[in-house]
Amino acid sequence: MSFNVIGKSVIRVDGLAKVTGKAVYPQDIYMDGMLYGKTLRSTVPHAYFTLDTSKAEKIEGVVRIFTAKDVPGHNAHGVLFKDHEVFCAQKVRRIGDPLAFVVATSEKIAQKAVEAIEVKYEELPAVFDPVEAMKDEIKVHDGTSNIIYHYKLRKGNIEEGFAKSHVVVENVYKTSMVDHAFLQPEAGIAYVEEDGTIVVCAATQYPHFDQLEIAEAMGVPAEKVKVINPAVGGAFGGREDITLQIHLAIAAVATGGPVKAVYSREESFVAHSKRHPEIIKIKTGADKEGKLLALEAEIIADTGAYASWAINVTRKSGIHVTGPYVIPNVKVDAYAVYTNNPFCGAMRGFGATQVPIATEQQMDMLAEKLGISPVEIRLKNAFTKGSETANGQILTESVPLITCIKKVADALEMA
Amino acid sequence: MKKISLTVNGKLYQVEVEEDMRLLDLLRDKLGFTGVKEGCSEGECGACSVIMDGKLVTSCLIMAFQAEGKEIITIEGLQKEDGTLHPIQQAFLEEGAVQCGFCTPAMVLAAKALLDKNPHPTDEEIKEGISGNLCRCTGYAKIVSSVKKAAEYLNKGGK
Amino acid sequence: MELKEVIKARTLEEVLDVLDEKGEKAKVIAGGTDLVIQLREGKVNPEVLVDISDVAELCFIKETGDFIEIGAATRFVNIKESPVIGKPFKGLQEAAGHVGSPQIRNLGTVGGNICNASPAADTVPALLALDAVAVIKSKQGTREMPLEDIYIDRGKVKLEPQEILYAVKFLKPQPGQGLGFVKLGLRKALAISTISLAVFVERGENEVIKNIRIGSGALSRFPVREREVEDFVKGKKMDNTVIEEAAEVFGQVLEKRLATRPPVEKDFKPYAIKGVFKEALNKAWQRTK
Ligand SMILES: Cc1cc2nc3c(=O)[nH]c(=O)nc-3n(C[C@H](O)[C@H](O)[C@H](O)COP(=O)(O)OP(=O)(O)OC[C@H]3O[C@@H](n4cnc5c(N)ncnc54)[C@H](O)[C@@H]3O)c2cc1C
Ligand code: FES
Ligand code: FES
Repeated sequence: MSFNVIGKSVIRVDGLAKVTGKAVYPQDIYMDGMLYGKTLRSTVPHAYFTLDTSKAEKIEGVVRIFTAKDVPGHNAHGVLFKDHEVFCAQKVRRIGDPLAFVVATSEKIAQKAVEAIEVKYEELPAVFDPVEAMKDEIKVHDGTSNIIYHYKLRKGNIEEGFAKSHVVVENVYKTSMVDHAFLQPEAGIAYVEEDGTIVVCAATQYPHFDQLEIAEAMGVPAEKVKVINPAVGGAFGGREDITLQIHLAIAAVATGGPVKAVYSREESFVAHSKRHPEIIKIKTGADKEGKLLALEAEIIADTGAYASWAINVTRKSGIHVTGPYVIPNVKVDAYAVYTNNPFCGAMRGFGATQVPIATEQQMDMLAEKLGISPVEIRLKNAFTKGSETANGQILTESVPLITCIKKVADALEMA
Repeated sequence: MKKISLTVNGKLYQVEVEEDMRLLDLLRDKLGFTGVKEGCSEGECGACSVIMDGKLVTSCLIMAFQAEGKEIITIEGLQKEDGTLHPIQQAFLEEGAVQCGFCTPAMVLAAKALLDKNPHPTDEEIKEGISGNLCRCTGYAKIVSSVKKAAEYLNKGGK
Repeated sequence: MELKEVIKARTLEEVLDVLDEKGEKAKVIAGGTDLVIQLREGKVNPEVLVDISDVAELCFIKETGDFIEIGAATRFVNIKESPVIGKPFKGLQEAAGHVGSPQIRNLGTVGGNICNASPAADTVPALLALDAVAVIKSKQGTREMPLEDIYIDRGKVKLEPQEILYAVKFLKPQPGQGLGFVKLGLRKALAISTISLAVFVERGENEVIKNIRIGSGALSRFPVREREVEDFVKGKKMDNTVIEEAAEVFGQVLEKRLATRPPVEKDFKPYAIKGVFKEALNKAWQRTK
């Protein structure tokens, strides 16, 4: 059989534009009469605040300063829960929460005006440790528990499994918060077409959903919002949540003119999500031959001030904490928890990246205790076609894990 | 405002620059060379790199007025007028060294600065040549292989 | 930044005239690799900027009498590639070659490295180990001082507003001398030094270390000479015991010096210095042959 694409090197469609420097990223768009926007962000993690924009408004070249009261529709957005505010109204929940958006005739003036806005904070006790946060003594969002999700996985009987185990290894692992650091900092430009359609052009991973979020915040029907996604300079999950899209839309509608914003690297770091740091408490047991008998895990994922994709990420961690191994007895509890840390969301692997740190080290330790090689213990337990995962999925398609491990081991001469 | 003249991609420009303007801003905002990218504003990512008097430099660390009398090459200066790609661009395209593309213009220029000086670089020399340019997408392996391929093309007298 | 005037100087005279006239309001810019960032962050706010990067009189590496002299506006790349410096002092070229990235080495100058007075300036330990002298000029004339004495504090050098650093110079290598340099950073490129260390040695008869000078970076508020360690080593016969003992002494010196610093410094550096020192000393010794 011959294919047009499979097995062949195909030159990507946007390659030519990219090697010649002609690909257009949002910061490369310049429009006549465009204004520039800059965001004022909180510098404390948990506080009530008030703003005084009067001095900043007087600076020559400042066109308007937008705050929570200028959001025409719902002052909220979020991919799962609408827990982000477009602009914080009264309270900030993390460093970097957006408070105001200054629009001016130049970037320099906008920056100056941002610095001239007076912010008074009435600081609140903050919580940074997710384990502390689970006690709900300090609430990140009023009226809701900090524990926003609990994923439970139960299979077989772990007490029995551990009782039968010849070796048991139990440890706590911690993974750290990671930034995507995509190379192109967030940027966008918005304008209003003659028929009133709001156009937001921004590098995003989720244009169709951005459209809905912008429409809700603007209080207009979705068909009145057009999202254009030009070249995107890397994303890795970090562009799934709204950053500047709604700010730009509000500013474009209110000022009539095209409004552009480009984040600095620093602002990019505080503006978008991170990879969830996790605390993984895990106990794994195996028989004399190295066959896994039981696994018990508790995973606490710190989602920071906002939920973003915490539910899906945490669930995925809970499922993948078994590793690609057949284990008859499994008990997993995975929690997603609010804190006043930077918010966490999607990032490459989406919860599946954190847990192998724990799972695979457990495997190595079990092998060491049993006096077998790390390759052998994996081959003994690896998923194959027809295996059942801990959450009950039967793997019916190709599962070439054993072939893969053997090839790697051969290359390393370890088997 | 200060009047300066400089050559970009072979063309002489006389422009008024603001005192606090960087070469990066001049190239992008005033002269329209948006193939020059800003990724960090402090010399770490290399996305703003251009070739100035034959040397690879980060345009975010140069004040515009300092470029008086300089000869600058940006990515826009590599493709021939008839549309033929520079062998380095061709190699990047063929080897799949381009993903999001934000690092690409500067990466191509880094390769050019290296190959202009050293037509037969080793892998180590290629790695050093692009060590001031971050790529978050590709993992560099394909970039290194494209630089090697480009060297072959160039040594054969261009493709 | 409220910059009012920017001057692209072409001659040294022009530079000195501007500094003489504008005094504190003016700031010299060379490669800009430190200054442009500081300007944008508002950490320095000069009214006048004088660019010295294309002043030919400040860009040179040459032998003058017994000395090798390097102009302040000489780029790292030129030091790295210079045939003048000579094999025994290759450590200086390695130091220049370890700075940042190709882009930074094409822009950054040795004068800027010194005058920015960062504790982690990579060429300075090498120059200190070479006992370099700073040559300073103003409209009023020229003065010299040991490079070591130029530092007042982190980020501060003893230059008057009317003065510039003109050059640094050090004695040419003599038979039996060598310079070793080692940098410890988070990765190979674009890493600010966690520790940088340069060791100059002079081999005497019977493998005796006749002279040793050690310049360190990122171990104090600015680059310094490590005299306690030098004194311990000087005059001893070069062998493994001496190297090991000296490394221990270095570790203890740092334990005291960094006792109140955060754990990354206080715990890590006294430990890491031992390996760094041994490597730098061995490299230097190799080059004496
Ligand atoms: C991404 C990056 C990576 C870096 N990595 C390293 C590294 O690995 N190691 C390292 O040592 N440094 C590093 N640096 C710092 C910097 O490159 C060096 O300190 C460089 O030597 C500065 O020189 P310059 O010519 O660019 O100085 P400028 O930025 O032009 O000037 C620095 C200061 O010195 C003053 N000055 C300059 N020349 C003179 C003179 N002749 N007389 C009086 N005053 C003068 C200026 O007024 C200014 O205050 C890095 C910088 C960046 C941006
Ligand atoms: S923008 Fe200049 S190096 Fe990153
Ligand atoms: S291709 Fe995206 S950063 Fe290199």
